[in-house]
Amino acid sequence: MNNVYRTSSDDIWNCLTCGLCYDGCPQGVDYPEFIKEVRDSNENGDIAHKGVFNLITDLMVDLDESKTSLDEVGNNDSKIGYYPGCLDFHDMFFELDVDFKSIADSSMKLLKSIDQDPKLMQMKCCGHDQLWQGDKGTFEKLKEQNTRIIKESGIEKLVTSCAECYRTLSQDYDLPIEVVHISQVLKDADLGIDSGTKVTYHDACRLGRHMGEYDAPRDALASAGSEVVEMKHNKNDAWCCGVSSLMNCDDKSKALRKARLDEARDVDAQVLITTCPKCLAHLNCMKDEQESVEQYDYDIKDLTVFLAEQMGGK
Amino acid sequence: MSKLVGAVAIAGGGIAGIQSAIDLASSGLKVYLIESSTTIGGKMAQLDKTFPTLDCSMCTLSPKLAEVARHPNIELMTYSEITGITGEPGDFTVTVKNKATYVDYDKCTACELCVSKCPVKVPDEYNEGQNNRKAIYLAFPQAVPRVFTIDADHCLYLNKGKCGNCQKACENDAINFEDTDKEVDINVGSVILNTGFEPYDASNLEQYRIDHPNVVSSLEFERQLSSSGPFEGHVTLADGSHPRRIAWIQCVGSRSPEIGRNTCSSVCCMYATKEAMVAMEHDLDLETTIFNIDIRAFGKGFEEFYQKAKNEKGIRFINSRPSGVEVDPVTDNISLKYEAEDGSGIKREEFDMIVLSIGLTPSDSSKNLAKIAGVEMDDNDFVKTKIDHPLETSKPGIFVCGAMQAPKDIPDTVADASGAASKAASLLSSERGNLVTEKKYPPEKDMGDEIRTGVVVCRCGINIGNIVDVPDVVEYAKTLPHVVLAKEEVYACSTDSLEGIADLVREHNLNHMVVASCTPRTHEPLFRETLMEAGLNPYLFELANIREHCSWVHQNNKEEATKKAKDIIRMSVSRANLLQPLYQEKLEFNKDALVIGGGIAGMNAALDIAEKGFKVTLLEKESELGGMLLKFTHLQDGRTTKEVLEPIIQKVESNPNITVHIETELTEQEGSMGNFKGHIKGANVDEDIEFGVAIIATGANELEPEGYFSYGEYSNIITESQLEQKLDEGVDAKNVVFIQCAGGRNDERPYCSRACCTVAMKNAIRLKESDPDRNVTILYRDIRTFGVWEELYTKARELGVVFMRYTEDKEPEVSEKTVRIFDHLMNMDFEINYDLMVLSAPMVTPETNELLAPMFKVTLDANRFFLEAHIKLRPVECATDGVFLAGTSQAPKLVDESVSQASAAASRACTILSRDFLETIGNVSVVDPELCIGCGRCTLVCPYNAPELKEVTVETEEIVYITKKSEINPAVCKGCGCCAAECPTGAITARHFTTPQIMAVIKAYGEGI
Repeated sequence: MNNVYRTSSDDIWNCLTCGLCYDGCPQGVDYPEFIKEVRDSNENGDIAHKGVFNLITDLMVDLDESKTSLDEVGNNDSKIGYYPGCLDFHDMFFELDVDFKSIADSSMKLLKSIDQDPKLMQMKCCGHDQLWQGDKGTFEKLKEQNTRIIKESGIEKLVTSCAECYRTLSQDYDLPIEVVHISQVLKDADLGIDSGTKVTYHDACRLGRHMGEYDAPRDALASAGSEVVEMKHNKNDAWCCGVSSLMNCDDKSKALRKARLDEARDVDAQVLITTCPKCLAHLNCMKDEQESVEQYDYDIKDLTVFLAEQMGGK
Repeated sequence: MSKLVGAVAIAGGGIAGIQSAIDLASSGLKVYLIESSTTIGGKMAQLDKTFPTLDCSMCTLSPKLAEVARHPNIELMTYSEITGITGEPGDFTVTVKNKATYVDYDKCTACELCVSKCPVKVPDEYNEGQNNRKAIYLAFPQAVPRVFTIDADHCLYLNKGKCGNCQKACENDAINFEDTDKEVDINVGSVILNTGFEPYDASNLEQYRIDHPNVVSSLEFERQLSSSGPFEGHVTLADGSHPRRIAWIQCVGSRSPEIGRNTCSSVCCMYATKEAMVAMEHDLDLETTIFNIDIRAFGKGFEEFYQKAKNEKGIRFINSRPSGVEVDPVTDNISLKYEAEDGSGIKREEFDMIVLSIGLTPSDSSKNLAKIAGVEMDDNDFVKTKIDHPLETSKPGIFVCGAMQAPKDIPDTVADASGAASKAASLLSSERGNLVTEKKYPPEKDMGDEIRTGVVVCRCGINIGNIVDVPDVVEYAKTLPHVVLAKEEVYACSTDSLEGIADLVREHNLNHMVVASCTPRTHEPLFRETLMEAGLNPYLFELANIREHCSWVHQNNKEEATKKAKDIIRMSVSRANLLQPLYQEKLEFNKDALVIGGGIAGMNAALDIAEKGFKVTLLEKESELGGMLLKFTHLQDGRTTKEVLEPIIQKVESNPNITVHIETELTEQEGSMGNFKGHIKGANVDEDIEFGVAIIATGANELEPEGYFSYGEYSNIITESQLEQKLDEGVDAKNVVFIQCAGGRNDERPYCSRACCTVAMKNAIRLKESDPDRNVTILYRDIRTFGVWEELYTKARELGVVFMRYTEDKEPEVSEKTVRIFDHLMNMDFEINYDLMVLSAPMVTPETNELLAPMFKVTLDANRFFLEAHIKLRPVECATDGVFLAGTSQAPKLVDESVSQASAAASRACTILSRDFLETIGNVSVVDPELCIGCGRCTLVCPYNAPELKEVTVETEEIVYITKKSEINPAVCKGCGCCAAECPTGAITARHFTTPQIMAVIKAYGEGI
């Protein structure tokens, strides 16, 4: 897929850093890590959405506090923290038929249902996009501020629902506490669901190839009674949604989205599940086109939203 | 006609004259726009807001003023009057007297230096005399032409030979006390009269006490509401305080046959409602009351506006006409006596302020002009026309429009104005382009590799120069990147300075130019033209506004103002350095027209276009031409519809440029202005069709008022059209009852259908005249015989037709032979026997509208009529370029209005068809196809439907797929940049406001903090 990914170009901004090269490289070079480092302090390529998310993050760095308000109330004394990431900004700027904040509410609801009554962490953006866009300066500030917030909060375990947050907080921060992705908490939890829905799972690159977690989301779905069918490309050779760190959105990367959505259609899934809000946005963006050429009849949902919906009023 | 002159004289520079001028000039005819005052703009320029949208009047008008000022084919003759018209159609000689202005218009830059030096104070006409202006004056800041005039009646120097301060103050030597009146003859092919109206002088009616300081005319009140008015938008009483209770008295100088004012003025009910609404927005505690005979909310959106005023805003509407204003001899307080609606008798109420809703009357100058032109007037001193020829005067080649023909509001006036332009253009169609000259510019010079930017900082006399330290700013500008030259000018816009700027470009080989002066709204075109004269692309110019945005608003802080001027210039230079030459593209296009609908509107539109030499295809879905009029037998002037329809059908069918397809509909449609492609299918045709413009004249139908007032239950309950058919056979019913608003003005159809009251009046008169002993009763909510049709209402009353009012909460109850109605004034029920009941049902839209709207990407309004581009100033255009509306497809109308609007639609369409090419603007937005992912968001935000999603195949090495991608039609794009802002991937670039340019400006701003 070299030319779809355009890694044959010498432009460091074309790389999606999805990690599909990990398995292919005979020398075992960590190419994404290399890209991340060479990008540092360089003028970045075209950032989608006019860079508005960067402006928000820049502002956030200068503000005293950041606040997310959810329908679900957290327990401030809990030793377990839940970090929603930047879901509320997604709702502000993505004009899609996707309720991003419901990922956070669903996560809180799921955690509460298995007696892991979490504290809602009021942190700033994790800085994932800044780090991969070559703006390490901003990333370091966010890292410092968030680390302080986490330390002061007294939590012992931090749960994220976003694959990017999970990778960033685990790999690029030096936190003294355990960081987990919510799928890892839910993989053998008894949610009391027996959905019987036929689903397929799209591996988000940050959770899959970057962190090696392929099974937890599948297990969580299976233990909730879903029939998980696999797309042609899955786990370590799963195809990317085509956009990473809000860069490279164009007709080449759309080819990847199209290929991915076709694969899900080919396996006749009722729902395409993912664990990254960016994948969710970009796949839904193609599905919701004003005059789409292809029709995809299935839903595309975040793992937590799907499970919480199955759980209903329980 | 031996000779045809391709020029038109337009008398009157109000909104009507402006619209006629723009239409004609854009169709390749030379226009002389003759206006008696110092500026064009007319009464609309005095209005604060316009109903029913509460748009700022000046904000919508001033772009039109600027368009006239800039149009190369329009010669403005302000402060001028027509003193003679001789000749014949195609070849008139019009004698125009140019009054002495004592200011050389070529030299005056409107810097205002003279104003502060003038010692004479004169009541300001623009503010209805509620404050003062000077003897040397500009009527209002947006005036066109923007030059000062000396008021010879009040100037000290001209009257007493002393003073001359203005001459001393003027740095441009523009004052000329030796100026004299001049008379010139202009040769034109046609004349359009539209000198409008005069507000009724309320001092004629002493009982209304306009002499009292807290009794004001509605136009005085309008100026009080305006932020540019005498009290900066604060409604103010004589003692300087603000009123708590304001009352409006309607029909002052209207609907008053006892003083010879027979007509309704058509606009007062709505403007009073608007004024009350706006006043309440300014002051939330204000109580407002409107005393009226009927509320005539008959136009598009008016009834909904009235209901909102009444039910949501809490404006009190009292159905009573006070006989006068009473002034307490001791306290000087003002009060009104009126008959209470609940039957409780006469009441007296005090108000802080009383507004007299003065009517629209023919002005003396209009009457005089009509005499000069030799056109016939009607009994009410309006220019006489016929229902089926509403724009033609009694004299061929001379046309009339707007309030000079009958009292009417802005959109009807604008439609008339385009219509009159169409009539003149038809007459002179062979002369298009003969008298207009295109300006030639030198070829563009090579830009070279180096960015060489010049900066000119304007002092604007003292406007900028006294506040901003201009020499300091000039020195600063020299330090900015790529600036090779910076200098100051006293007036950058004066003729010699403009030449100087062109010389600078040539001598210093500049390739980008910044002028730091005033607003681009008025001055950018001027400087751009200067660049073109110097061989530079006009888009390489950037204007930095250091007057409106700086010196005017920071007069008290010169140091900060200077700093801000530097900031503004730094930002402008940063953008200027990145500007690129942009070019207009010339596109070939199809010059045929399609007219959909063969009613009176569609036929007139087709004829007007065909008469100008363009091919027209006219589609009619029924089996004969004639439309809704076929269902009615008479017009309200007594003529039969047959008399009117037959000649026009004959003209349409015999016109070689018109192809008529009956029983035919448009089934498919795509493309855009100049390049529409569709398919028509019908009785004798099934083929593809291509055309450049389309006129939608699909009309309306009379509602079958099923379920209203027992319609359908009893055979003696019929509609107006059924009555007309019956009347031709003879009606023997002795007791006839009409019920108005049957199925209209309700939740399902909240609009007023405009025509029904006039239709009912016409039929009631026929019933009474054919049998004077017959009892005819009309049950109504408001009688809306607006304009000259008020005379039918008067006549019906004189003939003994009985009128009883009902309200929507207590509708008449109909049984087989009787109707029960509750009379509010008597506070009791009445039972009326009837043999025949006639229901006045509203016009409703045909189902075709729902199919056509998406085909042409145009919008239907809440009542399923087509939505015009702007309710006031673009009444016959759709927001989609090249698609026009005629007749009742846009809203319910009377026949004369449909005809006038049809000509208007034809006129607007022909401004396009008359072009040699479709010319794009230079700064259209463009899509980078590689970045476009085909999400289609641009199609949702574009107000002009310029982006279209088109299917393409994308090939990457391993994946080939079909997708849609956005393509922006340069012929339709206006360069607003909405799409570029919305595009998620950054695929769209607004060419004159690119992201790098915008970011450069933001960055340059940041460098100052």
